[in-house]
Amino acid sequence: MQDAITTLINSSDVQGKYLDNTGLEKLKSYYQSGELRAKAAIALGANASTIITQAVARSLMYTDITAPGGNMYTCRRYAACIRDLDYFLRYATYAMLAGDPSILDERILNGLRETYNSLGVPIGATIRAVQAMKDVTADLLGAEAGKEMGVYFDHITAGLS
Amino acid sequence: MLFNILPIMSIITKAIATADRQARYLTIGELDVISDFFDNSQQRLRIAKILTANEQKIVNAGTQRFWERCPVTPSNSGNPTYRSSCLRDQSWYVRLVTYSLLVGDTEPLEAVGTEGAKEMYVSLGIPLRNLAECMRCLKEVALDLLPLDDAAEAAPYFDCLIQGLAP
Repeated sequence: MQDAITTLINSSDVQGKYLDNTGLEKLKSYYQSGELRAKAAIALGANASTIITQAVARSLMYTDITAPGGNMYTCRRYAACIRDLDYFLRYATYAMLAGDPSILDERILNGLRETYNSLGVPIGATIRAVQAMKDVTADLLGAEAGKEMGVYFDHITAGLS
Repeated sequence: MLFNILPIMSIITKAIATADRQARYLTIGELDVISDFFDNSQQRLRIAKILTANEQKIVNAGTQRFWERCPVTPSNSGNPTYRSSCLRDQSWYVRLVTYSLLVGDTEPLEAVGTEGAKEMYVSLGIPLRNLAECMRCLKEVALDLLPLDDAAEAAPYFDCLIQGLAP
């Protein structure tokens, strides 16, 4: 796992180089966004279950997927769905705080599409729910932090599709 | 022998790794620590930039001062390999100080720079007493380039280096 700082430092270290100006400028803007990220992480942690509830209500709840024959029909499958959304939100929060999406690749996305395909989990519906989480968190966090958080939800979407 | 070189971590990646092992969000306390880190990060970035820009100067001036204090030392023996190795290692240590400033933690200095270093230098026949003096000279010339409060922020990183290499 990396963050915006360690990505730059570790790649310089293996080459035995000082950080160049581009790297230092990247660090500067990450440091400047730090307060925003820490505050957003507090809000996301405190509102995680509400975010999931609202995202499901906006995207999946009132569609065929929760009706008999749908993929969220039976509580067990519904629970599995919100558990996964919970993972997505937590790892997206980590990635947003770190300013780096690598933790999403390592812990969530590697092999996820194949797993979902083999389990028969519909990718399209998953993506709709992730995009709904993006909208709900943007409402909660405001434009600036919402936009940053959106980057990581989009990263999940891109990894799934 | 298989070496597993761990990447350098920041306090942010460390806190995330801990939270992830427990499948939870970061606590308010952990995020407070991270906020404090961001609060003084501009100062540490400024120091790292000054040290990076003046690396050659620091190494050259540090070497001169070191040879004045320890004239009888391998790097001052006239052997060009010893001399260039000494300069290279000083530059290497200044670089690690800049990394450590940027992550706000002395861990990169210890993990990459000082763990096993004493054993290595002893086996190479480098007197540790002189090595520590060399690091002290680096510290003095580097801090001379910095305003007072920046020097106070940077000093512990050099001290970590001196202590880690002292006999």
